[in-house]
Amino acid sequence: MIEDIILPTREPKVLVNEVSVTFESRGRSVVALDRISLQAHAGEFLCIVGPSGSGKSTLLRVLAGLHRQSAGEVRIQADRPGTPLTAMVFQEHALLPWRTVRDNVTFGLENRGVGRAEREARAREMLAMVGLARFAQHYPHQLSGGMKQRVGIARALANDPEVLLMDEPLAALDAQTRTIMQEELLRIWATLGKTVVYVTHSLEEALLLGDRVVLLTARPGRVSQVYRVDLGRPRGLEVRASPSYGALLETIWSRLREEVVRAIEADRDSGGDASGG
Amino acid sequence: MKKATGRWLAEHWITIASPIALLALWEWASATGLRAAFFPRPTTIAVHLRDLARDGVLWAHLATTLVRIGWSFSLAAILGVAIGLAMGLWRRLREGLDPVFAVIYPIPSVLFLPLVSFLVPPGEIALIVTTAVTSFFLIAFTTTHGVRQIDRLIVEAGRHYGAKGWRLFATVLLPGALPHIFTGLRLGLGFALIVVVAVEIVSASEGLGALLWLSWQVLKVEDMYATFFVIALLGALLSYGLAALRARLLPWVPDVADR
Repeated sequence: MIEDIILPTREPKVLVNEVSVTFESRGRSVVALDRISLQAHAGEFLCIVGPSGSGKSTLLRVLAGLHRQSAGEVRIQADRPGTPLTAMVFQEHALLPWRTVRDNVTFGLENRGVGRAEREARAREMLAMVGLARFAQHYPHQLSGGMKQRVGIARALANDPEVLLMDEPLAALDAQTRTIMQEELLRIWATLGKTVVYVTHSLEEALLLGDRVVLLTARPGRVSQVYRVDLGRPRGLEVRASPSYGALLETIWSRLREEVVRAIEADRDSGGDASGG
Repeated sequence: MKKATGRWLAEHWITIASPIALLALWEWASATGLRAAFFPRPTTIAVHLRDLARDGVLWAHLATTLVRIGWSFSLAAILGVAIGLAMGLWRRLREGLDPVFAVIYPIPSVLFLPLVSFLVPPGEIALIVTTAVTSFFLIAFTTTHGVRQIDRLIVEAGRHYGAKGWRLFATVLLPGALPHIFTGLRLGLGFALIVVVAVEIVSASEGLGALLWLSWQVLKVEDMYATFFVIALLGALLSYGLAALRARLLPWVPDVADR
């Protein structure tokens, strides 16, 4: 279950090597990520879990180029010229309220100078894939939370990135919508075969979606353990009934639990102030 | 459409009923004892309003005031939005101008008239510039705030999806600030009317403010009230007009009434 250190036979799609991130806050420096190393292979669905403050989102932001690491290197292998390395699905969807659903989906293409006809064809295709073909002319405020996040996914996919980054994309949704969206994500991923790096605080979600689960420690975030999820594909919600799912969940949770407790204690010791290493 | 109007009336009848009730009360008070020399009956005022409109006096003054508001508001809007955007985008500029604005802004606008008259040709231009001052500050303030309140995550998403420099401004920052800019324009237009009337009272022989003041001085009280009414109506029309324009130009702003 626990992955041995295997030297990859070929260059991984995403390579994170000894990456550290330090934040300066009120004259003190806080280590958010401490020498993180991990890799994702082409077409892999890699989930990252960890307690709050373990720097999961920070890691994703580094991969997205939204934040610069303080040390270490990130390599994303580009196979197709002209497409962006990454496209991010944000936790709070972060759609542009002044653009229609369609224009949100074409936003990245527009900025890259893709022609109108191609943009619109791509938007149609992606909106059909996420089941929102009829809502192309709506504005985000007219959509439900789940629909907005579908648009967020369509926007990212329309750019055809080398790697799809997802930052707790379903965290803000109600439980039922979240379940539906998880199935949708599995279907879309199976269709497109994208490399996905997926941050979540839900272990159940990570086991349902991921090929491997990277567990981060409480702040400062380090890689605690990497687990292979051998639950077969295609995978659906029924996997939750299988004994191996339960066993794996138990294994990872006992480890995650320690980290969560550590995070809570660290928080308490510092009077709720964000601090660490 | 008709159904919608009916529903609106059913819910908001008091909006229509309260001014009518007020006018009726006034009419009754004037007819039964209030000094009609100072408080003429609304029906009498209406007759005077009709006469003023008929002989063209009202329209001439109205046109003068409208032209002044047009110039002042345009001046305030162009400078206010431009400087407000710049202040929203550049912290240094904002920090530099904030104290200056804080000191100048609360000064009653009419007091700028003498000062402005030293700087620009007195008369019409001084009047227009003075009227623009308060509106300018309001528009600049709200525009700055409009840029500053944009959700950082949305700006980040814009950058992430490739909007840089000018494109980031045009596709993310400007549209993000537009609802506030419109609020500023609406306030600014309202203040342009208030100030232009005040300035006309002190320094002009034409315009609604001048007409109002002149009517008062020669004790044509009915004409004064008639002008009053026209100014009030003009203010309401300008405000609702801009609100309607906003609903049309910014269809993505959720209607407050929807919630």
